[in-house]
Amino acid sequence: MEIKGSVALVTGGGNGIGEAVVKHLAKAGAKVAVVDMVQKNIDRVVKDIKAMGGEAVGIQANVTSEADTARYIKGTIEAFGQLNIAVSCAGIIRDGTMLSLDKETGKVSKKLGLDKWQAVIDTNLTGTFLTMRDAAEAMVNGGWQGLLVPISSVNKVGQVGQINYSSAKVADALMPKIIVGEFLMRGIRNIRCVAIAPGYTATPMLTGMNQDALKAILEDVHLGRLVAPEEIASLISYCVENEALNATTIEITGGLCYPKGIAK
Amino acid sequence: MPSLLYNDMQFSVEPSGDRWDISYKLPSGASALAAAGLFPGLSEADAAVRTLALVKTIFPVGIKSVGPDVTHPNRIGDLKIVGPDVTHPNFIYWDKDSVSSPKTL
Repeated sequence: MEIKGSVALVTGGGNGIGEAVVKHLAKAGAKVAVVDMVQKNIDRVVKDIKAMGGEAVGIQANVTSEADTARYIKGTIEAFGQLNIAVSCAGIIRDGTMLSLDKETGKVSKKLGLDKWQAVIDTNLTGTFLTMRDAAEAMVNGGWQGLLVPISSVNKVGQVGQINYSSAKVADALMPKIIVGEFLMRGIRNIRCVAIAPGYTATPMLTGMNQDALKAILEDVHLGRLVAPEEIASLISYCVENEALNATTIEITGGLCYPKGIAK
Repeated sequence: MPSLLYNDMQFSVEPSGDRWDISYKLPSGASALAAAGLFPGLSEADAAVRTLALVKTIFPVGIKSVGPDVTHPNRIGDLKIVGPDVTHPNFIYWDKDSVSSPKTL
């Protein structure tokens, strides 16, 4: 599928990986819908795309809401007449171990709150499901060529302190196999699905974390630095153009290894 | 440059080459860009029609809530005021059941 002339919708498009993806696709000639929770981020990105000579519409929405999802899919089609690429970058973290112990008594002093579990599952899993489902519905009914891109994470393998995030991201990584299998079963041939599982990426989510912890993480990255959001955007562009890529999850980590040198 | 008022928001449609940009006024009075480079080749009037359809889709209609204050503690000292139970059989409506209710207000 050609990027030029296609229409892309990116949730979480107001910053981080999402911002890099919308700008990369717009630069390559796609018309883009910037979906985000934060209006000022949307305004900034739409303004940047206009300065690049691109075409963009900004839509403030919450990906966990079914009504909002329907609204941004419809808004994108209202603005550009079709939808070809849907990338679900919207994501949050609420880290914490499932149990914390009191150092003196050895008894449980704290449990991971349901609020921290639910918020991450709602945004990173349910939000991705709703976007993929409704974007696919539009692509099927419109008869347009399409690519669905759930954003997973290398922490789908199971990261301590992230039972909520890892659970959501491993589920996101499974989506391409299930979705494309169902498409085959139903005779839907115009839509592909490829998930992307980034490693540690230079986004506001990571640069805000404890810098000593970040330094320790980088010691396990063969590349020796964080992955740039633009490198992930470039991979997604490649996925758009290469139609043989389908029903799979691609990791882009810079060579993230476990401490003893085993690739994660 | 057509402008339109929708849901208390002021939108304007501005030409950008053969395309149209849609901007709107923020509550602060500043202007923000809602969309850029849309509707290639459309006339000003047609762009205004398409803009109205688009903003109706992407900006949900808001409802201004003017009360009650649901965060009010409903407490006087240690007493929690739980409000009248209007389903109780002994509940009396002043305007319907009381002789002191004026017939015309």
